Amino acid sequence: MQPKQQNALEEKALWVRSKVLDMAVYAKSGHISSAFSQTELLVALYHGRLMNYDPKNRRWEGRDRFILSKGQGGIGLYPVLADAGFFPLAELDNFAGRDSLLGVHAEHHIPGMEILSGSLGHGLPVATGVAQTGLLRKKDWMVICLLGDAELAEGSNWEAAFFAGSKHLSNLVCIVDRNGGGVTGFTDRIEFPCDGPRMNPLDKKFEAFGFEVRTIDGHDFGQIFAALGDLRQRQNKPPLMIIANTHKGKGTSIMEDKRLWHYRVPAGADLAIARADLGLQPLPVNDRPVNVEQGE
Amino acid sequence: MASTKFILGMRDAFFNALYEFFKRDPEAVFISADNGAPTLDQFYQNLPNQYFNVGIAEQQLIGMACGMALEGKKVYTYAIAPFVTIRCYEQTKLDVCAMNLPITCIGVGAGYAYDIMGPTHHTVEDLTVMRALPNMTVHSPADAYCAEALAEISYRNPSPQYIRFDRAGVPEIYGEGHFNFADGVLLTRPGGSIALVATGIMVHQALKVADELAKAGVQARVIDLCRIKPVNTKRLFEYLKGVNRVVSMEEHFLAGGLGSLLAEIFVDNDVRLPLLRIGQDDRYVFDNGGREVIWEKYGLDVRSMTDRILRWAK
Repeated sequence: MQPKQQNALEEKALWVRSKVLDMAVYAKSGHISSAFSQTELLVALYHGRLMNYDPKNRRWEGRDRFILSKGQGGIGLYPVLADAGFFPLAELDNFAGRDSLLGVHAEHHIPGMEILSGSLGHGLPVATGVAQTGLLRKKDWMVICLLGDAELAEGSNWEAAFFAGSKHLSNLVCIVDRNGGGVTGFTDRIEFPCDGPRMNPLDKKFEAFGFEVRTIDGHDFGQIFAALGDLRQRQNKPPLMIIANTHKGKGTSIMEDKRLWHYRVPAGADLAIARADLGLQPLPVNDRPVNVEQGE
Repeated sequence: MASTKFILGMRDAFFNALYEFFKRDPEAVFISADNGAPTLDQFYQNLPNQYFNVGIAEQQLIGMACGMALEGKKVYTYAIAPFVTIRCYEQTKLDVCAMNLPITCIGVGAGYAYDIMGPTHHTVEDLTVMRALPNMTVHSPADAYCAEALAEISYRNPSPQYIRFDRAGVPEIYGEGHFNFADGVLLTRPGGSIALVATGIMVHQALKVADELAKAGVQARVIDLCRIKPVNTKRLFEYLKGVNRVVSMEEHFLAGGLGSLLAEIFVDNDVRLPLLRIGQDDRYVFDNGGREVIWEKYGLDVRSMTDRILRWAK
């Protein structure tokens, strides 16, 4: 990758994170830390044009199908879609507000979205159906499914993996945002009863189900492009699983790999730190943090 | 009751009729959760690109159906009724109904059809839960003629559907006469001042109960509500004209089932007819010995229901 392109993508990633933070603060809601772990992956797919899409013709038959399984990542996908031209950037400013196009969980009626997401463990089974149809019709578009790692505790994923591996769905590309965090704890850093269940060894699990597995640093554009560069030359290969090791809350010192930030929006001093970390101007601070429990 | 045309029963009458549509439409696909039928063999033998087996994996069954329907396929999913309904209920809610996709869910073994298999295989809550879902159409046929007609009805309907079939061996009712199954409600036997409204296997029981009531000097008509959702209330009220009592008969939990449904319709339409709801109370059934044993023990046999109606209508 050229340094110039890399710089442009990194700038875009920073812009996406800044937008996500603004949106969550505006709505007092949104999964910031989940959005921050997947940022480079989405920027590479859309801005890096690893995926084929046409925002002016969102149902274009030849598009690659992007299936967002970790629906709470919607807040992180919206700036990417808006910037790519799927809907006006102004929509971002009313995230989850009255008459907003954009809710906390990404839904199928939003331009650029294929499915209704928000309940976990739905994306991969649906992706297998889309991929199977693509193979039946001998199409060369790809199905790219973005999963959270904690979501893999849902058994439906393994029902789908069972099928995808045995049917050799070569046009199916799964990316696991391996940020190591669930709602209340960590998946593989077992310190308290709220941690787990363990995901590791995740690569061996998917290999056993018949996937080709590639493990990368999910924040490194060079590695993302290397891992996804040959998607269209994989006929007759097994389905591909990219395990993208990431950091939940990446880029903000208060959130990065910290507990309890799955569904929490910073305010006051926390917000000031987060904004400073992202290189944003200080804002007048609120007097108390917003802290909403629960949610996926 | 002549029992000659459909030797294999309602499910196979449906599959044979459906096969004709599949032959003409390569975009129609069938996904099984490792459940078979004699009449399904022709699908995978002759139409290999239209038949898939996901294994015993109902969440995958519905999720995959969603993916194929999103790409324009007309999808049928198939498993034993409890597994294709409540086992994967959230997939049906979100991946089928909320996205309003052309997926028809086929469940075999309605009510206590799988009698000695126990509560795991009994399907006595499916009408309640499936009719709760927006966009969903629910059919509960009583015989193979109705089931056969549902092949075309379901094929032409581009919305989510659930069809529950009994097991093989159910006699035929609608071989003679003209019945419009697309109406969703059938006047199976006219006359009388008491209406027995039933669905599925209980239509057969209702006909027998009507015979017994006649012996006791009480004339009853039988109405088959073969479409549970949406109910054709106009036609239902037409068939209820002139009755002064209504009995609902279902091999299903009373909570949310056919009787509940009638009560809702009556209240919403200011229909003030006395309604006796016959069905299964709030319990699981672990009794062996067969379906008739279950019916006897829980008041769903012809004798018990007849006596109960006579006492109630006195």
